[in-house]
This record gives sequence, C-alpha cells and structure tokens, in this order.
Amino acid sequence: MKLFDVLLGRTKPAQPNLDHLFGLPGAQITLEASMGLRPTGQAGVCFKPATGQQFAETASEVEQLLDLGDKTKIHDESDSYGYRWAVITDDDFGDLINEVHVVNTTLQDHGWGPQLLCSVFGFAPIPGGASDPAAATGASKVAGTYLVYLYKRGTFYPFVPLPAAEKRDSDRERLLNVTLASDLAMEPDLERWFPLWGLPVH
Amino acid sequence: MMSTVFLLGLLYALFVTVLFLVGVKLVFILVIAIVLLFVQYFYSDRIALYSMKGKIVTSEQAPKLHAVVDRLCALADMPKPQVAIADVDMPNAFATGRDQKHAVVCVTTGILRRLDEPELEAVLAHELSHVAHRDVAVMTIASFLGILAGLLTRVLAYAGLFGGFGGGGGNRGRGGGGGAGQLAILELGMLAFSALVYAISFLLIRTLSRYRELAADRSGAILIGQPRLLAQALVKVTGEMSRIPTRDLRNAEHFNAFFFAPAFAKGISLSTLFSTHPTLERRLQQLTELEAQMGRAA
Repeated sequence: MKLFDVLLGRTKPAQPNLDHLFGLPGAQITLEASMGLRPTGQAGVCFKPATGQQFAETASEVEQLLDLGDKTKIHDESDSYGYRWAVITDDDFGDLINEVHVVNTTLQDHGWGPQLLCSVFGFAPIPGGASDPAAATGASKVAGTYLVYLYKRGTFYPFVPLPAAEKRDSDRERLLNVTLASDLAMEPDLERWFPLWGLPVH
Repeated sequence: MMSTVFLLGLLYALFVTVLFLVGVKLVFILVIAIVLLFVQYFYSDRIALYSMKGKIVTSEQAPKLHAVVDRLCALADMPKPQVAIADVDMPNAFATGRDQKHAVVCVTTGILRRLDEPELEAVLAHELSHVAHRDVAVMTIASFLGILAGLLTRVLAYAGLFGGFGGGGGNRGRGGGGGAGQLAILELGMLAFSALVYAISFLLIRTLSRYRELAADRSGAILIGQPRLLAQALVKVTGEMSRIPTRDLRNAEHFNAFFFAPAFAKGISLSTLFSTHPTLERRLQQLTELEAQMGRAA
C-alpha cells in the first residue's frame, strides 16, 4: 500500500487472479494417482452480489452463456452469509474448468471482479478404490473432498468436511496440501483456509 | 464524551507544561511523550480491548462471527484479524491494532443482539476498512504531531521570553526579585497560549478522524457491494445508542479516563461520538450516493 493511499484512507478493491485455475487438470491426475480421488463433475463459483440493476444483468448474462450447452447445468443458490453460488455440473473436468472460467471472466469484464470470493471443485473417492475411506473403514468417514480457489490470492486450499456437524479432517487436508504442492499454488497462510459449511457443491 | 477526551488531553498538555516549568529538561519531556505514544502505538489493541472489556474469541466459540470475518478478509485480500466480543449492552464495534498483523476487531454483545447478519457484516466491513487503512497508526502519529506542536510553541515562547528579558550577561536563571511577578504573569499567558495551540490541534485531529470514518464507510460499503446495509446498521445502532441506559456509557468512560490520550484507543468505533465521527446525516448521504452510483454504472 502506498503512503499516499494510507494518508488518504483509500484502498482499491482487490482484483481476482483467474490464471491459476488452469493448473487444475494436472492436479486432477495427481489426485487420482496418489489419493484415488476423482472430480465429482460439480463446481461452484461463490460471489458477493452487489446492489443495482447492472449487477443483476451481469448475473443473468452468466446463466445465459452457460445454458447454451446441453450437457452443462447451472443453478443459482444463496447461502446463509449473503453470498451467491453459481453451481455448474459437467462430467468433463476440462470443460467444467472452462465453464467456471466463463463465469469468472464475465463478472470481471463487467467490473465485478472484486465481488468474486472463491470457487470450489468437488472430488470423491473412486468407488471401491484402494484409498476409498468407505472401503477402508466400512463407513463413510468423509463427507466430501473439495479444492477451494481463493481468487484474490490466486491460491488453492483443500477442504474436507466430516459428516459430523462442522468438523473438518485436518490431517487429510494437510496430506492433500503436500500432495498438490507441485501442481498448484497452495495457500501458505493456514488462517485463510476458512471452512465452507453447507456447500451447495457435491 | 467529547469534553472528557478534550479535558484529558488538556491535562496531558498541562502536565507536560508543568514538567517544563518545574525545570525538567526539554529532552526528558520529549522522551516521556514519545514513550507514552509508543506504548499507545504498540499496545493499542490491548488498551482498547481492556477498556471495552473485550475478550478474544476462537472460531469454536463464535463460528458465525468468524465465518463472516473469514469471508470478508478473503474478499478484500487481507490477513484475518483477531476477533473479540465485549460483553457490553451498548451496541458498538471497533477495530484496533497498529497494523494488519496485530489487528483486533471487536463487537459488543449489544450489537450482536440488535443487528441482523447482513447488517453485522456491513459493520465488520467498516471496521476491517479501518484496519486496511491503518487508522490507528495514522491517528497516533497525528496526535503525536499535535503534542509536538504544543511543545514547540512553549519552547519558542520561552526562548522569546528570555531573549527579551535576560539580555545582560547571558544570565539564564529565573532569579531577579523584581521581575518575578511579571514572569509569573507571562508564564500564565504562555500556559493559555499552549492550551490554545492544543485546542486547535485537537480540532484538526477530530477533523482527520471524521474524514477517516467516511473513508472506512466508503470502503466497507464497496466491499460488501451494498451501501444500503451499512446505512441500515448505522441508523439502528445510533437509534439504540440514544435510548439505552447510561450506566454502560459511564463505565466505558471510566476506563477511558485511565489512559492518557484515549482519543484513538476509543476513537475508531462505530458509535456516535460526535467528536470523532461525522454526523449520521453526512454518513447516510455518502452511502446513498454510493448506492445510486453502483446501480448506475459498473
């Protein structure tokens, strides 16, 4: 922050970094090979809705852009913290990433880049695979495995919620963090690995 | 509240003047002033928390509050400050700490009870903007400059005094039986003059503080994308403030009186301290303009 901005009490809204998303295909290969995890085919873009007609128009433009493809499904949800989620379903992981990118760039091109909070990609164990926790323990221990992308930081972190209310599997998150370190820019500041309870993404 | 802060500051100025008159070396006075300011600067978070009886809460103790702060910090790309709750019925919130790494955001149970979630988020966005703007550092330096100005006035006046009187022989002592009465009057005059300088710097610092409140309103409103919500929260909080019993308010003041310059330990808060904050009308006006602006063009 510049001295002048400090004196005047100014901060510029933080702009998102959209490039690191394209490291995900590499991460997909690593996750499948070493952790037995596959994409669920769902991803969510989380953003803070802004006031006014302009933003509403941009949001509906996003939906129209993605509704063109017949295998892509998108729906819109609000969470209890006042953020909106564009949840996209597409079985092809490469296409899914591109569609998330469309949402990002559409918002950014209209000047709403600062409203982007994070995007979330769902992963699940390969059924019957060696590292399927359900197969190992006989009961489903993990409610899901997610990679969260922080737009403003340009970094990822893993989020593994447990079925029990508002608990997360920190050991598994740390393991994922180490596993993915060579593929993705992982968030070094653990304080920023905030939990996303009640995700609309599977 | 304003008069308390003003009187405390005046006391501080008088204290320094008395030290000076008693014959304590200027260097020592400067050292004392600087030490006090350093204490305020480095312990601003603890001083403010202590004076408001705020307690740091973990994300297990206050999951909702932490979740809101987490998201706002991710949105604004800033490190997460510590989160505290003060068990006080007065609806208020404040941010403190000299930089982003030592920041604390504190809310009272009173504000938690009265505001709904979107409004609370707006208040937190305002407080986080104070952290991002480094308002504690700016206000500390500003108040130090004010004290320095008062001190310099005294030095200059003194130099002028002795330049005029002590002409012969370079005698710098106060002695001289005949001039004692005159000197006393002059010293009183000097005291009044430095009080005036202090008053002017006090007003300037208040003006700066009000400007920075508006800046935090603006950044906070842009961060959440909905200026209207911050306006709602302001109206609610100020309405409640005037209606609640005075017991808590007096309590808070007592704690303030414990410190030398509570102006900024207490200053950065959302309450309607007329001295440090712009009027509600001015703040609402800015938020309404912002809301209209965001609706028009992206």
